[in-house]
Amino acid sequence: MKRLWTSLAALLILALVIGACAAPAPPAAAPAEEPAPAEEAEPAQEEAPAAEGAPAVDMVLLPKFLGILVFDQAYQGAQEAHQEIGNPGKLEFLGPTPENSVQGQIEIVTTAATQGMDAIMISNNAGDQIVPAAKAAKEAGMTVVTWDSPIPSAEGEDLFVAQVDFDETGKVMAEMALSILGEDGGKLAILSASPDAANQNAWNAAFQEVLETDPKYANLELVDLVYGNDQSEDSYNQALALVDKYPDLELIMAPTTVGIAAAAKAMQDEGLCDKVKVSGLGLPAEMVSYTLNGCAPEFALWSFKDLGYLTYYVTYLLATGQIEAQEGVTFEAGRMGSYTIEKDPTRDRGLRVLMGPFTIYTAENVEEAAK
Amino acid sequence: MTWIRRRFRPEQIRELSLLVLILAAVLFFGTQVENYYSPRTFVRITTSVAILVVMAVGQTLVVLTRNIDLSVGSIVGFTAYFVGTMLARNNEMSPAAAVLLAVGVGTAMGAVNGAIIAYGRVPAIITTLGTLAIYRTLLVEFANAQTVITASLPGWVIDLPRVNLLSVGGLDVRLMVGVALLVVFLFQLLLSYLRYGRLLYAIGSNPDAAQFVGLSVQRTVFLAYLLCGALTGLAGFMFLARFGNITVVAGQGMELQVVAAVVVGGVNIFGGSGSMLGALLGTVLIATLEQSLLRWAQISEFWRDAILGLLILLAIAADAVILERLRALWARAHQAG
Repeated sequence: MKRLWTSLAALLILALVIGACAAPAPPAAAPAEEPAPAEEAEPAQEEAPAAEGAPAVDMVLLPKFLGILVFDQAYQGAQEAHQEIGNPGKLEFLGPTPENSVQGQIEIVTTAATQGMDAIMISNNAGDQIVPAAKAAKEAGMTVVTWDSPIPSAEGEDLFVAQVDFDETGKVMAEMALSILGEDGGKLAILSASPDAANQNAWNAAFQEVLETDPKYANLELVDLVYGNDQSEDSYNQALALVDKYPDLELIMAPTTVGIAAAAKAMQDEGLCDKVKVSGLGLPAEMVSYTLNGCAPEFALWSFKDLGYLTYYVTYLLATGQIEAQEGVTFEAGRMGSYTIEKDPTRDRGLRVLMGPFTIYTAENVEEAAK
Repeated sequence: MTWIRRRFRPEQIRELSLLVLILAAVLFFGTQVENYYSPRTFVRITTSVAILVVMAVGQTLVVLTRNIDLSVGSIVGFTAYFVGTMLARNNEMSPAAAVLLAVGVGTAMGAVNGAIIAYGRVPAIITTLGTLAIYRTLLVEFANAQTVITASLPGWVIDLPRVNLLSVGGLDVRLMVGVALLVVFLFQLLLSYLRYGRLLYAIGSNPDAAQFVGLSVQRTVFLAYLLCGALTGLAGFMFLARFGNITVVAGQGMELQVVAAVVVGGVNIFGGSGSMLGALLGTVLIATLEQSLLRWAQISEFWRDAILGLLILLAIAADAVILERLRALWARAHQAG
């Protein structure tokens, strides 16, 4: 009996040591590799011969991390484009685990380059830390396209597929604020994700700019900007702190899907929905109950599926040399029509393709969209 | 005074020094934050600690035995997600069944930790770092990129955070806060009066000696992880009720908050000393500092975390000094007597 325990223990130790060494880093790729090639890439390869002579491009779609609905929707869009084009290469959906996002992203970019993948599409969560890996990938001949969130310095990136115009985001947020607060306006605060998310910062800046310069919004007074780090807990506490700090606050504007839902729940839990409204960018499915009960009467978002679709198209065209990443180049992206590559006005350098537009959700259309 | 000295040892009233520190923090922020002395501040602080307190009680059991459980962040996330999914699929599930399910899932995860550490003799820090990643990956796989959404949950779950146990002039004691306090009370009794509780201290003080005198070290440690998992599962259910929308990042980083709270609460990280009351006060102290800093207009967003860290260090240092003084006082009295 004693022997059995000892050997069992030895086995466990071995497993654990291997597990402990291997676990924190590589889960990055491991969970993703299973679903991607098994469920998706193979059927696509079977269908490939149907399209005559589409050149093969092996592509990687890299989300900020795995397990979030919007990134999965982007992957669905990319799959749709993959099959439509009939790319005989493979499309892999690889992402890091949530707690390992920055390191994991860098690792996946590096691995993709050494494994001879042809193109990578990144929703960058690593700021400029990803630059060396992205540059190395480009030097290895890969096409590097960012979507959802760009590389701030634009180094190592061919172009950025922007979901919406960052200035447009500012206007849409201001418009929603006005429609909730009414002509006589009131005080509002921003609950953002994290201080180092490039897209968040650009949207907040655009929002502030619109509020300051456009006389239409003169009565809207922005009193604070806080960060909830895209964590429910932090966002929930921050939302309540805002209410306490500014007793006459009337609106919390959260341009993040985690933040807006947490803020709405906080207002509901504390019975504040009549006094303080919540708005911003949110997912219909997560927001439907708050929109119907009046805590978050209005919010906006774009289609992540379309974003994945468009990103795949432009990346494929770039990788096959059918277009070049240059200002003024126009291309056709399947069902979504024609797009033009332009200079990115929100960064000092870099090119972008602009998708747009926003959908505004209210009590009228939110239930339909939530299904 | 002599009565106190004869009755207690300094370690036993160290909770007092934590109370003094909490009081000092409240007095200071009262002068800084407008409208601070209102029932609202009490409600905000108590509701923000409820989940963490339950986790801290579980962690204390483990830490007392000179071990640690770093996987609790992932256990909270997994149970919240798992129970949320089950409730979404079956809105008719009774509240008791839902809570039991959460506790059960947590217990199972705690049992895995416990088996590997107690019977496999693998260092706790390695094991639980491993399971921290493994449980999170399980969650990512299980979730399949879906979110548990508020609208799919039965109404009683969503309304739970609002339920008051009692309310006196705006001073609400929420149900979840009551549950947390009950957990602290019950487990403090366990530590003080049950054989099992004393075993935890004995093993943590000197594991080898405990083994030599024939105490059931393995079983005790295993059970500590089991209980820690069960309590963390309960915390996972509370997490679900509080936030409604649960994604794969739920509970991420909570393990460090819990360990910090427990250590600030005077539970010795090398085992053998500490109490549930201390863990509660440690959690409340950190939450008081955190919530107050959030409302302190003078502090910029970027300095807040640094200042919170500094204040925690100060609190621990002050706690050590106070305890040292008390010991000296006791020693002098002892010599005089």
